[in-house]
Amino acid sequence: METGSKLDLPAVLVAPAGGPRGSWLGQFLRTNFEVFQRDFLALLGLIILLFFVVVAIFAPLIAPYGPTEVIEQEGIWLSNKKPSDQFILGTTNLGRDIFSQLVYGARPALLVGFSAAIAVSMIGTLVGLLAGYFGGWVDALLMRLADVAFGIPFLPFIIVLSAFLDPSIWNVVLAMAALLWRDSSRVIRAQVLVIREQAFVSAAKVSGAGHLRIVFLYIAPSILPLTFLYGSLAIGWAILTEASVSFLGFGDPNVVSWGYMLQDAFLSQALSRGAFYWFIPPGVCIMLTVMAGFFIGRGYEEILFPRLRRQ
Amino acid sequence: MTLLEIRDLSVIYRTQQGTVQAVDRVALEMHQAQHLGIIGESGCGKTTLLRALIRVLPRNGKITAGQILFKGRDLLTLSEREMRQLRWREIAMIPQASMDSLNPVQRVGRQLEELLTVRGKLDRAAARRRAVELFEMVGLGTERLEHYPHEFSGGMKQRAVIAMALALQPSLLIADEPVTALDVIVQFQVLEVLRQLEHELNLTILLITHDISVVAQLCDSVAVMYAGQIVERSSAEQFFNAPGHPYSLGLQHAFPHLVRPKDYLISIEGYPPDLHHPPQACRFAERCPFAEPRCHQQSPALEEIAPQHWAACLRAEEMDSLRQQAGDPQVWLKTQAARQSANGNGRHFSGNHHDREVKTLPTAQVAAAQPLVEVRELSKRYHIGGGLAGLLRGQKPQTVYAVNHVSFNLQRGESLGLAGESGCGKTTTGKLLVKLLEPSAGQIIFDGQDTAGLSRRQLREFRRRVQLMFQNPFEALNPRFTLYRSLAEPLIIHGWRDKAQRRARIIETLEYVNLRPAEAFLDKYPHQLSGGQLQRVVLARALVLRPDLLIADEPVSMLDVSVRAGILNTMKGLARELGLTTVYISHDLSLLQYTCDRIAIMYLGHVVEIGPSQDIISQPRHPYTQALISAVPVPDPALPNPPLRIREGVPRPTQQAIGCPFVERCPEAMEVCRNVFPPAIKVSEQHQVLCHLYGEHAASPRLPEPMEESLS
Repeated sequence: METGSKLDLPAVLVAPAGGPRGSWLGQFLRTNFEVFQRDFLALLGLIILLFFVVVAIFAPLIAPYGPTEVIEQEGIWLSNKKPSDQFILGTTNLGRDIFSQLVYGARPALLVGFSAAIAVSMIGTLVGLLAGYFGGWVDALLMRLADVAFGIPFLPFIIVLSAFLDPSIWNVVLAMAALLWRDSSRVIRAQVLVIREQAFVSAAKVSGAGHLRIVFLYIAPSILPLTFLYGSLAIGWAILTEASVSFLGFGDPNVVSWGYMLQDAFLSQALSRGAFYWFIPPGVCIMLTVMAGFFIGRGYEEILFPRLRRQ
Repeated sequence: MTLLEIRDLSVIYRTQQGTVQAVDRVALEMHQAQHLGIIGESGCGKTTLLRALIRVLPRNGKITAGQILFKGRDLLTLSEREMRQLRWREIAMIPQASMDSLNPVQRVGRQLEELLTVRGKLDRAAARRRAVELFEMVGLGTERLEHYPHEFSGGMKQRAVIAMALALQPSLLIADEPVTALDVIVQFQVLEVLRQLEHELNLTILLITHDISVVAQLCDSVAVMYAGQIVERSSAEQFFNAPGHPYSLGLQHAFPHLVRPKDYLISIEGYPPDLHHPPQACRFAERCPFAEPRCHQQSPALEEIAPQHWAACLRAEEMDSLRQQAGDPQVWLKTQAARQSANGNGRHFSGNHHDREVKTLPTAQVAAAQPLVEVRELSKRYHIGGGLAGLLRGQKPQTVYAVNHVSFNLQRGESLGLAGESGCGKTTTGKLLVKLLEPSAGQIIFDGQDTAGLSRRQLREFRRRVQLMFQNPFEALNPRFTLYRSLAEPLIIHGWRDKAQRRARIIETLEYVNLRPAEAFLDKYPHQLSGGQLQRVVLARALVLRPDLLIADEPVSMLDVSVRAGILNTMKGLARELGLTTVYISHDLSLLQYTCDRIAIMYLGHVVEIGPSQDIISQPRHPYTQALISAVPVPDPALPNPPLRIREGVPRPTQQAIGCPFVERCPEAMEVCRNVFPPAIKVSEQHQVLCHLYGEHAASPRLPEPMEESLS
């Protein structure tokens, strides 16, 4: 006879990981800590992300010039300079310091990345919780909305949005918040459906707990790791999207982002001139941050679904 | 002739905490046509032994020593290829939860034929003939070959799996809990099939189970496994008449017995030792009521205590007197494990209320004649196949009648058992009683008040007074809460603002359920406790608000036999002390007989018979009750079950019966049963049955038995 038959849930959803003591918040932090402790790539991702955060915060101290500052020498624009001691990565055709642009570019990237991640995961979690817990018409309504969101092509949606609104990096965040909650809400809803049926939730009901208490005290803590998973994936998506939008020319022309740099390089034929120092660094930065997001996401995935680890 | 010989087999598992010695120098011998049952509680190495036998251990498992001689060949020296040849053809296995081992998208007949052609090297026609033969052998109609697994009931699937296991005429059949998780009637039928096959085919069977009644019914010899070792080895007769090991004695006294009911079930306190560091002394000493100081130092060897009877006990010579003492439940409270009750490390807990000084709670006002609960014509219907998707597929919405016009009363302080096969509506009734579900029709009057139209405040009070205890203790507690938090939740919800008061109440309640010292448990998390302890916590949570009514849904079915009695005894004692009215929901009639004053038998949502437990068990009136009772396996090979009288069939809850709901399976069915719903007939003051047999139609001719699958 099996005495220990637990529902086949991912380990973190069932039992608090690590040393079990303290509040659930403490446990939760420990769980998160464990993600990085266990998974080297997740740790690497975190380090990369933290690096860019530091760079973004201290950009004015790090960058020798302003991002849009045209550098002149005796009235002549120092344009198209190759990397040198003065300009680590050279200058653009308008005489702007590429390295400084790169440093300042971390700001919009992370701003967009984090705010989109928060928006997407919060909306997705809330929708998933409500749909899964209440079921019935609430579920039907929210999930049909998700179907609609699934039916809207993402990039064209942003472009249309940018046409209506003033160009701004916030368009990306808005578009992601408006559409990308669909994935996380679906997954979280499915998880809520499982947890909702667990006896401890019924037990809370029988002792007279109200809906809010059940949703936020009993169910939400169990799905928070999923929220984080989707959040960390959204960081990468947001940065990528912002870069795409800027590259396509629908970004804010006054904000220097990595995507903007790529577009700038593209339009000024940097490629044909072989100015690798111009378009490769922002590309690498985009790649690194996106990778960081996915690495962290992968770490959560592994701890959520331990079976992945063995393969 | 010796078919199988296991010599000093040892198996280890590598885990994060180190090496687990799961099977420790086990030696066994089986001759042709022997039926050996290995008994033991979970975690004793039974399944590991079986898996080692056919070399399908999990990846972290390793056979470290020993030989497995099968027909003289050592299986451990064979190559994987040779082993593959051997499995199924020579040694076939009926796995645990084998019902899921059929491919759902292929006809069952095809699966069987494929096995016969691919592994059995038969041509198509011969395979077909053999498949028909096999299906007849296990009592399945041959038209069933064309069916898909989902068209089979649980018992039929199990029979099909048995047919598949036997397809290649293996010399040895091994079965891992072959009837666990089956309904009692199905379980009986499967046991019957196995028993018949044993005789017809001269099978050699090695089966493992936790249920000694299965062994009593199927096996001629027994091995008892404890903590990775065999502690007793004997014929079935000797095992049941004169067991040679205290653990076997404990197991036997822990089992409820329908025919010879016991006044008091014993509980073997404690748990098997941690096999990361197996003790160097007798492994059972800690839980053994007869342990002497030397038992904690010396390790007993398996010795022949009588002809063909081996036991590993240092006090084997005194076994006769020990057997005498073992029937006394007091004895079992004196084990080290019971005395150590919950001493901080959390591995032990104390069990019984019996000899402890018991704090009495203020007795609930012993009530007037008014029952605490009146259930009137309670019904719960579900609609399935409706909705847009169903309509588009052209399905007609169907109605499932989960609970159907159920009426009964509950007097204050009494305990009622709800019994029946799975799907009979007993759990739904329980959920309706605690208002986890709303009834479709009918009323539940709780303490004179209809529970349908309660105001917010009244509902809150109702939630305080009515509590539910869950089947699976591993799921019933929030894994993220400490036990203190879990127990505090109901109090917080019901407005206990004072922290000190809450704490006092929680500690008091934990002590009631015998988790002592209570302080040691407060900061623990559910995963740190064993199943038995958890179920006590679940009980404590249900009692922390001092309810009047407690509904316990299969309170011990997930637990090991050795700890079941402890929980039941605690519940029984507390119900008496707290003046609690209890409803036990269980498929296990012997358990209900042990715990309940009255039993209600449910079939397809109807209560078909209700009455005092003794009457129901000893003089069942309804044919369904009779079938249920005769299907309960008896833990005694000397008492074979009476023949089961029930027709094959699957209860269909979607058909609203015009006549008797049981008519299709009833051996006594009459014409009137088809057309007229049976009246409720009072057999005695308290005993009521829903059956035409005891009414005016008693003498009507019975319907002929349909010629289909008449094996049972």
